[in-house]
Amino acid sequence: MAANPMSQFEVYSIGPKIQIGSFDLSFTNSSLFMVLTVSVISLFFIAATQKKSLVPNKMQLIAEMAFEFVSKMISETAGKDARPYFPFILSLFLFVLVANLLGMLPYSFTVTSHIIVTFALAFFIFVGVTLVGFARHGISYLKLFVPSGVPIFLLPLIIVIEVISYLSRPVSLSVRLFANMMAGHTMLKVFGGFVVSLGILGGWLPLGFAVALTGLELLVAFIQAYVFAILTCIYLNDALNLHH
Amino acid sequence: MAFKMKDIKELDSKIKNLSKKTRKVESESSSSSSLGIAMKLSSEMVAAVFVASLIGYYLDKWLETEPFFLIILFFLGAITGILNVVRTSKMINKE
Repeated sequence: MAANPMSQFEVYSIGPKIQIGSFDLSFTNSSLFMVLTVSVISLFFIAATQKKSLVPNKMQLIAEMAFEFVSKMISETAGKDARPYFPFILSLFLFVLVANLLGMLPYSFTVTSHIIVTFALAFFIFVGVTLVGFARHGISYLKLFVPSGVPIFLLPLIIVIEVISYLSRPVSLSVRLFANMMAGHTMLKVFGGFVVSLGILGGWLPLGFAVALTGLELLVAFIQAYVFAILTCIYLNDALNLHH
Repeated sequence: MAFKMKDIKELDSKIKNLSKKTRKVESESSSSSSLGIAMKLSSEMVAAVFVASLIGYYLDKWLETEPFFLIILFFLGAITGILNVVRTSKMINKE
């Protein structure tokens, strides 16, 4: 393996080169891990719900926990009206979580460590939430940008600020996930490199750090998936229950 | 099997006690969600400044007023970022 800590983020195509127009649609290692993420989730849930018993076994228990966790998160942050969006948020949460966790395996690729992947997710959430808001409230959804109780001479300034705040949502949502994953994995690789270069005598200290960082990264993988899902709920809440 | 009324009442009170305990645990676990929201803060500021500056840059290109809108929107973005951080921390406080 290369010693360069950034080489783990390299995207290369595997299999034949597919070119449609000016787009390179080749199957890359990134696509492979996205497919892997989706299949892991699907296979796990198919296997877990195979034998639906009243007293669940371990796999069914995990599946039910994931289900209840997301369900509770939605009802706490977005309320009853967000129930129809439960499948979307559950799949979003599981996709990000499993992609993060698969990235923790040695020699694997972390899908969410690329800004374009997280930004695509965040951008579709942004567009979707905006459409939901307009479909539900019509043109009065624009009231979101006009908070109540603001003096009239401040209104132009406040509206500009609110619009910037709204537009910055997908950026902050995607940058957070991407930055956390990339920084963590780079750090792990750097400490791994220290272990090799310091050898059998001095390599123990960075090895200890690497072990501790691995634990931290597992926590970050979970928290970031959670934050991604809960922010989607919060945005959805803003779109469903207009209370500005 | 014949259950006595007393036994059922005892079981009932036991269940109530236990469910009270589990509810306590649940409310404690919500502190991890504030940790999640707290991680929102840092990127919130950067994102607002970034997006506002980007809008300013392209407005300038379009209207050929360089660097008028870039400068104004940069500061508006900074204001927005701080406002977002204040809002998020208010939300955490409320919980």
